[in-house]
Amino acid sequence: MRNRSLLALLAALLLPGLASAAEVVVWHAYRGAEKSAFEKVVAAYNARPGNPNKVTTLAVPYDAFADKISAAVPRGKGPDVFIFAQDRLGGWIEAGNTVEPIDFFLDDALKARFIPSTLEAMTYRGSVWGLPLNYKCIALVYNKKLVKAPPKSSAELEALAKKLTQRGAGRFGLAYSYADYYYHAALQNAFGGRVFDAGKPVLDASENVKAAELLQAWIKAGFMPAEPSTALITSLFNEGKAAMVFSGNWFLGEIAPGIDWAVTTLPALTEAGGKPMRPWTTVEGVYVAAPSKNKDAAFDFVKYATDLDAARIMALEGRQSPANAKVYADPKVAADPVLAAFKKQVDVAVPMPNLPEMTMVWSPATTAMGSITRGGDAKGALAKAQAKVAADVANLRKSK
Amino acid sequence: MTRPASHWPRALAALAAGLAVAVALSWAWLRAASAGGYEERARAEAVGAVTRLAKAVEQAGAEGDAARAALSAWQADQPAGTVGRLVIVSGARLEGSTDPRDVGERAAPRRLLRDEKWAYDQAQRLRGIVLENAEQGFARAEVEVERLEGRYALGAPVRKDGAVVGAVEVDRPAKPPPAAPGVPAALAAVALPLLALLPLRRAAARRGPALAAALVLYAAGVGGFAAWALRLAGGGGEGVRALGLSAAVGLALVLFVALGGAARARAALVRHRVAYAYAIPAMLGMLVLVFFPFLYGVVLSFTGQTLYNTSAPLTEIWVGLQNYVEILRTFAFRMPDGSPSFYWTLAFNVIWTVTNVSIGVSVGLVLALILNTKGLAFRPIYRVLLILPWAMPNYITALIWRGMFHRQFGVVNYARMLFGLEPLSWFDETFTSYLTALATNGWLSFPFMMVVSLGALQSIPADLYEAARVDGASRWQQFKAITLPSLKPALVPAVILSVVWTFNMFNIIFLVTGGDPSGTTEILITQAYKYAFQQYRYGYAAAYSTVIFLILLAYGVFQNRVTRATEGI
Repeated sequence: MRNRSLLALLAALLLPGLASAAEVVVWHAYRGAEKSAFEKVVAAYNARPGNPNKVTTLAVPYDAFADKISAAVPRGKGPDVFIFAQDRLGGWIEAGNTVEPIDFFLDDALKARFIPSTLEAMTYRGSVWGLPLNYKCIALVYNKKLVKAPPKSSAELEALAKKLTQRGAGRFGLAYSYADYYYHAALQNAFGGRVFDAGKPVLDASENVKAAELLQAWIKAGFMPAEPSTALITSLFNEGKAAMVFSGNWFLGEIAPGIDWAVTTLPALTEAGGKPMRPWTTVEGVYVAAPSKNKDAAFDFVKYATDLDAARIMALEGRQSPANAKVYADPKVAADPVLAAFKKQVDVAVPMPNLPEMTMVWSPATTAMGSITRGGDAKGALAKAQAKVAADVANLRKSK
Repeated sequence: MTRPASHWPRALAALAAGLAVAVALSWAWLRAASAGGYEERARAEAVGAVTRLAKAVEQAGAEGDAARAALSAWQADQPAGTVGRLVIVSGARLEGSTDPRDVGERAAPRRLLRDEKWAYDQAQRLRGIVLENAEQGFARAEVEVERLEGRYALGAPVRKDGAVVGAVEVDRPAKPPPAAPGVPAALAAVALPLLALLPLRRAAARRGPALAAALVLYAAGVGGFAAWALRLAGGGGEGVRALGLSAAVGLALVLFVALGGAARARAALVRHRVAYAYAIPAMLGMLVLVFFPFLYGVVLSFTGQTLYNTSAPLTEIWVGLQNYVEILRTFAFRMPDGSPSFYWTLAFNVIWTVTNVSIGVSVGLVLALILNTKGLAFRPIYRVLLILPWAMPNYITALIWRGMFHRQFGVVNYARMLFGLEPLSWFDETFTSYLTALATNGWLSFPFMMVVSLGALQSIPADLYEAARVDGASRWQQFKAITLPSLKPALVPAVILSVVWTFNMFNIIFLVTGGDPSGTTEILITQAYKYAFQQYRYGYAAAYSTVIFLILLAYGVFQNRVTRATEGI
């Protein structure tokens, strides 16, 4: 009893002095080099002279991460800051008491720090909810031994791919997960297609149909393998049997040491009037948890983690693509061909929708893609998917 | 012969317990109803005040001195302690404020301070809601009301030229609700009937009169209080229902005590106290880990809970049987939009279970018979090899099998090509897709059946076969008359178990076919998963799961009958 009152007295005496000092807990799902790079950023933040805050990190296994956030944060049991891709953002905002809106802290100088499309990915209902940390998107990875000059347009791509294909020997000019809607979006966005228009699903937009028909033409031309799973594409590329691959940052770590490869931007689509292919970006955002007791300190760290020094560490040591646009002017980063290629790609990329309704799109879209890749009626398949998504979205929104 | 004990004390205890519970419940309802009515009126008044303010500010142009003047004019009619603020989103400005602290250096207009972030966030939130309502035709409330300790915090959007530019935010004191009525009346309703029973000691000594007296007095006490409470609270169907329910609970208690149930229960508890003490931890564990989640799921199935309203109380999103009706209504295999209906999934699930269990049993039994051959060389090695599929984690097996059915690189199509057949896209047709899952699960399920049958085979005494041979029975006759009946006690429970496992075999379906094509190879449990975690319709998914539970319950009852029928063998 006496101890407790003593403690209370001590706290009362010390609290004014401690008001700005705070412990900030950060949850992330990084592993390997990305984890050590991020921990280095945290250590650098903690070691800054005159910094009163102490940041500690906790690496949570990725597959349990999103559910853990949904369960722990709204009940006030979670971290002060967490890092996750934007695809769950809308759901967390709708569920409430999970992500703190940070518009209030933002000024134009801070906004100008980022690649615009990555900040757009953090925007929901007109407010900004987190700062973008790193992004991932697909680009063109090619085998330098087979491809001397990467194609700049789809006409070149088709000609080159046809030349490099020998179906009998299992060699293909181009391999990518074209039946996966995420990859297909690069074609669709080039035509100006989209999944949502002002919040309403529009899977059967005429641009989307055109993109699907182009894909069917590519499949018919026979320069891509059938049923392309990611494992299959990796093994084809590693055996030198796939000359070009559309894939993202995650693919690079799986390339066999013997392959001489390079990354460049996806070609422009001749069929879409020379518009570039625009893949979907997934952006890892750093969010302040709504129930956090140290929001100021948390936001201070968020700002630091997305600043130039941190971005440099994550780019050069974590091999990530920072959303900070200024870091690409750094000589070391600029000299890195992979980082430069992804930066060039993200400049034309589109953020993947962060609406919670997006989870309802995947399954019908995959069904439609299955029918399209089998050579079915593209328009009909997309119309069917649209009907299903529209019905599901209406069912969900009834409760709103 | 001893004189039978008087029933009067028991009647008194029953009356006291029943009255106390029924009147306490009724009184709680009365208090809630009167506080709720007061709260509703106060809330409506507060919402009216903030709406008037928003309108006045909009008419004054939303910004500048005119808006501030509108704010002060509004303030004059408000109860003391009310604070109004006008927040403009662009530049995070406090355009006007009637907070007594906002003078001098803090006087509006100025930029919002760090500790006023909530005010800015509220304005942003309201802007977002108005925007979404307009764009997507939602009908979310455009006035925010929060009931805090002793006050209301309200917010309403302020428009200028059709677009929301900010919000008015009002902090309004709430008068404490009037004291709850009826404490003396409630006490009287309990005490008077008890007092009336006191002098009846002699008259109510026998069982019949004691019970009758208790019931009559109970009815008088509860009825009197209910009539009084209904008159006070204004009555209505809801009140009649709530008070009727409390009266029924009390009546059950009266009967329970008066008829001796309570005494017997207490005696049983005392007599077996050690057993109950041992069972309590397990009972508590079951309560928390099994019954509570289960009941919550059932309750959830009567609501329209989705991602958007997880924080709303369940009573507000109550939809009754609507989810069940929606699931069961379309009495066809296809929904109007062409997707598989509940009945399709159920039929597929039943076919899936029956075929899988038949394959598992027949393959397992055949292999067990082969392994049971006398003098078979390397038997332990075969046995280990045949049990291996069971020992591997089924996720891994499922993914390997999925790979084997790949159109271009899968080993199954490769084998077809060796025989000159065309490669097949296995996951494009419902039937072939089903075959892939069937093959995978068959591979996973035969080792269990084999082990069970092998154990049973080895326990059949060899002299039975010897005697049969002496009598001249053929091999087939021996199998039919000796082997099969001896296997039955071991096989029937194994089959029953594996039916339940297979019916809910989530992993195989989810990983191998994933419902392809178009959800036609979905089973009920994977479909429920998709409703909950891809479409975020929690209430609907809960109803779906409850239906699955009911189907398995029906099967469980049926299974009980069957096992009882086979117990004699």
